[in-house]
Amino acid sequence: VPCVSGGLPKPTNITFLSINMKNILQWNPPQGLQGVEVTYSVQYFIYGQKKWLNKSECRNISRTYCDLSAETSDYEHQYYAKVKAIWGTNCSKWAETGRFYPFLETQIGPPEVALTTDEKSISIVLTAPKKWKKNPEESSISLEQIYSNLKYNVSIYNTKSNRTWSQCVTNRTLVFSWLEPDTLYCVLVESFVPGPPRLAQPSEKRCVSTLKDQTSTLKVK
Amino acid sequence: LRRCVISLDMRRIEESFRGIKNAIQAKDTFQNVTILSTSETLHSIKPLDVCCVTKNLLAFYVDRVFKDHQELSPQILRRISSIANSFLYMQKTLQQCQEQRLCRCSQEATNATRIIHDYYDQLEVRSAAIKSLGELDVFLAWIDKNHQGTSAA
Repeated sequence: VPCVSGGLPKPTNITFLSINMKNILQWNPPQGLQGVEVTYSVQYFIYGQKKWLNKSECRNISRTYCDLSAETSDYEHQYYAKVKAIWGTNCSKWAETGRFYPFLETQIGPPEVALTTDEKSISIVLTAPKKWKKNPEESSISLEQIYSNLKYNVSIYNTKSNRTWSQCVTNRTLVFSWLEPDTLYCVLVESFVPGPPRLAQPSEKRCVSTLKDQTSTLKVK
Repeated sequence: LRRCVISLDMRRIEESFRGIKNAIQAKDTFQNVTILSTSETLHSIKPLDVCCVTKNLLAFYVDRVFKDHQELSPQILRRISSIANSFLYMQKTLQQCQEQRLCRCSQEATNATRIIHDYYDQLEVRSAAIKSLGELDVFLAWIDKNHQGTSAA
C-alpha cells in the first residue's frame, strides 16, 4: 500500500558498519517518535548501475539495522543505501548514506593469535583475518589476498615489570626472546593496512607464562 | 626488469581527499554513471602498463578535471590545489621514468585511458569534473596498490 511520503521524519545517522567486509547498514529511529511502533524498509544501489534495489529481508522491519554484506560483497565497487520509516499510511522520505567503498572503508579485524613458550622466549603465530563470506562452505578469502600490504602491530607486556614492547610486522611468525623465565606475559595484536585511516579492531589479550628456568631447578636438587 | 617506481606521500593526498569526499560526492547526482569506477577499466591493468596508465590519468586530472571544475568553497579549493600539486610532482617523477624508457604504453593502456576520456566526454563538463573528483579515492587506491614499496625513481 503506497504511503504518504514525508508524513514522518527521516531516520538519522544512517551509516555502514563494516568489519572484514561484513557490511551492516545501521541507523537511528526518527526523532520525536518515541513509543511509536515504526517499521523500516531498505534499498541499496550499486554505483554506476541503473536502479535502486529492494532488500527483501529488510522490508517493514522494526530493527534498526540490515545486513547488506551479500549485496555489497564486490569490494571494488561502491554503493549507496537508503532507509525510510513507515507508520500506518505515513512514511518518511528516504535517508541515504554517502558513497560507501568497502575496499577503503572496511575495518580490519584482528588476526588469530597462537602462542608457544619456553623459558626465555615466546613464539607468536598469526593467522590473517578472513573476508566475510555468505556460506560457511565457501572457500575463505584471507584479507592478505585483498590487502597485500596488510601489517600487524604486536605488543607484548610483562605483567611483573609492567614493561611493553611493540613491533610492526608483515610476516606472521615472530619470536620475542630474552624474556624472564616463569613470568606472565600478555600479547595484543592489531591488523592494519597502510592508507586512509580506518577504525581498528584490536585482538583479545592473550596471556601466557614462560617456563621455569630448568638450570635453577637442577641446582636445587 | 627495472620498474618505474614513484615516491609519493600518499597519506597526505588521501588526507586532502578525505576532507572533501562527502561534499564532492554529494554534488555528484548521477549515481548511475561512473568514470573511473568500472572494475573493468583500472583493475585489468597489467603491471607493465601501470606507469603509463598512472601518467595518463595524472594528465587526465591535471589537464582536464582540475581545470574543468569550478569550486566556490575556499576550503575545498585549498585541498584540491594540494592534490593537484602532488599530482604535478608525480608527473615530474614519471617524466624521469619516461626518459629512462621505463614507461612504455601498450595498446591496452592506451585503450583504458581513452575509455576514461570517453566516459568523461559523455557527461556535461561540470558534472564530469565533479564525478571524476568524487572518484579520486578509486584512483588513489589503485596508485597505492600498484606503487607499493615505492622509492624515488
